[in-house]
Amino acid sequence: MSDVETTGGVGASRTYGAIVWGQLRKRPSAMVSLGVIVLLALVAILAPFIAGEVPIRWVENGRVSWPIFRYLSNGEYAAMLGFALALLLPLTVRLLRRRAHRAGTGGWRWVFLAHLAIWLVVLTSLVAWREPERRYGFYLERAAEAESAWFPLVAYPQNPGYRELEFKEQPPSWEHLLGTGRLGDDVLLRILYGARTAMTIGFVAVGIGTAIGVVLGAMSGYFGGRTDLVLMRITEIFICIPGLILIIIALTVISAAWLPPLWTVVIVIGLTGWMWAYRLMRAELLRIRSEDYMTAARALGIPTWRLLLRHAVPNGMAPILVGATFGVAGAVFLEASLAFLGLVQTPSWGEMLNDGRQHLEYWWVWASAGGAIFLTVFVYNLLGEAIRDAIDPRLKI
Amino acid sequence: MKTYLAKRFLLMIPTLLGITLLTYALVRLAPGDPVEAMIRAQAGDINPKVFANEADAIRERLGLKNYNLWGKDPQKIDALEKVVNVFYGYGRWMSHVLRGDFGESMKYKTSDGSKSPPALFWERAGITIPLNLVAQVAIFVIAIPVGLAAARRRGGFFDRFSTIVLLGLYSVPSILAGTLFIGFLGRGGLGLEWFPVAGLHSSAAEGLGRLAYLKDLLWHVALPIACMVYGGLAYLAKLGRASLLENLRADYVRTARAKGLSEGRVVYHHAFRNSLLPMITTMVMTLPGLIGGSVIVETIFSIHGMGLLMVGAAQARDLSVIVFGTLVYGAITLLALVVGDVLYAWADPRIRYE
Repeated sequence: MSDVETTGGVGASRTYGAIVWGQLRKRPSAMVSLGVIVLLALVAILAPFIAGEVPIRWVENGRVSWPIFRYLSNGEYAAMLGFALALLLPLTVRLLRRRAHRAGTGGWRWVFLAHLAIWLVVLTSLVAWREPERRYGFYLERAAEAESAWFPLVAYPQNPGYRELEFKEQPPSWEHLLGTGRLGDDVLLRILYGARTAMTIGFVAVGIGTAIGVVLGAMSGYFGGRTDLVLMRITEIFICIPGLILIIIALTVISAAWLPPLWTVVIVIGLTGWMWAYRLMRAELLRIRSEDYMTAARALGIPTWRLLLRHAVPNGMAPILVGATFGVAGAVFLEASLAFLGLVQTPSWGEMLNDGRQHLEYWWVWASAGGAIFLTVFVYNLLGEAIRDAIDPRLKI
Repeated sequence: MKTYLAKRFLLMIPTLLGITLLTYALVRLAPGDPVEAMIRAQAGDINPKVFANEADAIRERLGLKNYNLWGKDPQKIDALEKVVNVFYGYGRWMSHVLRGDFGESMKYKTSDGSKSPPALFWERAGITIPLNLVAQVAIFVIAIPVGLAAARRRGGFFDRFSTIVLLGLYSVPSILAGTLFIGFLGRGGLGLEWFPVAGLHSSAAEGLGRLAYLKDLLWHVALPIACMVYGGLAYLAKLGRASLLENLRADYVRTARAKGLSEGRVVYHHAFRNSLLPMITTMVMTLPGLIGGSVIVETIFSIHGMGLLMVGAAQARDLSVIVFGTLVYGAITLLALVVGDVLYAWADPRIRYE
């Protein structure tokens, strides 16, 4: 959020972000939805520990090993570390605040950058030196030979080609907590991996869209004139093409062999969903550019890029935050619809719902998938409403 | 006002050109060959030489042909040539459009055999537009009383209850709602079999009288319309609530109360009337989006409307249908934006456009 700090006053060093956070903490709906979102993210990231075929601990011939850590992909490690660092961020800031305060530097920015640096270094070294193991079906077949094996909650083959047809269409039981599908696939396992798709789409696609919208909107609102006219026309063009059609056509153009289907969808949804952020940021900057502090900053001779980056854009981020929260809900919706229509090939809740639609009597399939979509979309909408009320109830988003 | 409108309409021209050029270029530049896919789907494997000739003729007719421009190897067309071809093809498409010819569809035909995109859309519009209008009216009729009741007792039980229920409804994906409707109310095999689940008419509908025909139609569209209505409720009810609250705080309401008008008259005659206009404006502005967005409902209930036509065309890369569809949709959206702005100014004389 914005790091407009008012340091120095007697007990008045509350940032804008801190004020909004204080408002949010008073709302139970906000706290509950935030908790559910963190839980969903955790479940998505830790999916291999909950459902999968690789044991967590394995003892054979007296030798103890932890196979799952050899199997986790680099991307999974990166996601785990990123999530942990994001959760640690407020804690670190609080710990360092006193010292930073004495030294006269703002806390947030440096801590955030340090975390980002740690994450980038670990990610690069992982990609450069680590090769994850990939031997499907290895441990499940040899489970009898082990002296002790801790399998995930749902010990089930996750090789896409592997199906156990004799277990197909079973109602929920202790072996299959949410039952099995048409081809003997475990529903819980698919829900967990669908959560990964939904979370990736939610965060990355909306992140791409927000970034594009903020940059273009800031330029349009600040410079005005011809820049504004041209950017407005471009935005109108994107608004006037029906969203789904644009996405389908863009999918045929971008679907290259080197890009996994999930990332194709993420990029396409990001590239076609930035117009809301553009409109909000443009409106904010039209207001902000004539504020006194902007005039003062201009009079100080601060270069334009710095003016925009440090003063104008951070002050216009509040509506963007609300819009992005609603945007995540919308993107999850959209991805489910695309998968439901069979337009994308990702492990997704929408695809499961489409499967379940063919055989409604196996209610556990569509009920799990539909419930998961509903829950995710609902908590994001709830959080969006709460943030909007905390920032400014009259905000029209 | 006149100058303002003229300026708005003039600014539509570059936007419409951009819309058509963008879709045209994307469809043309996408890898793969839609004509080949179509011929294979129709005739299976045929003699390659016959195939090549036929494919070339079809491409020529549909305006999809990539011409060999610098004439070295007629079999190979490089990337730059492709781009030049896109602009050339777009120019040709434009010159045809100016003469009233929108090309022909690769995949679709109307019931009387016409392949021209306008005819195709006109036929489908007869299904999609009435359906959406009925859904819009239903949304309006339900959402306004709800918003009104919530605003009158702000923070009361009904206010909080309706907010959370509406947000919940808003969060139910239409793919789930459609599935549930079919499963429990339609002939999906789970519960009550009250409603049919596909199409718009019974097979014997032709022989029915006018009244029975209408009844049959309503019986068929009840579930799709319910599917379109439930999600839109939340947005409009919330807007109505906020708008009425703002008006109830206004000075003129205090004046009305002070001069001793009854509470009902203050709310319904003064505040409500003023809060209705922003809602109508919003409806006008969102209507085109709803028509384009009913694809999911049309798919679930097998209704052959405009949304399904557009999605089918986009998947088959049926160039002329896609470009015509985006042109029409874009024009309607732009018009709706202008109408919305004008309505806004008409309702509130403080707003002036120069």
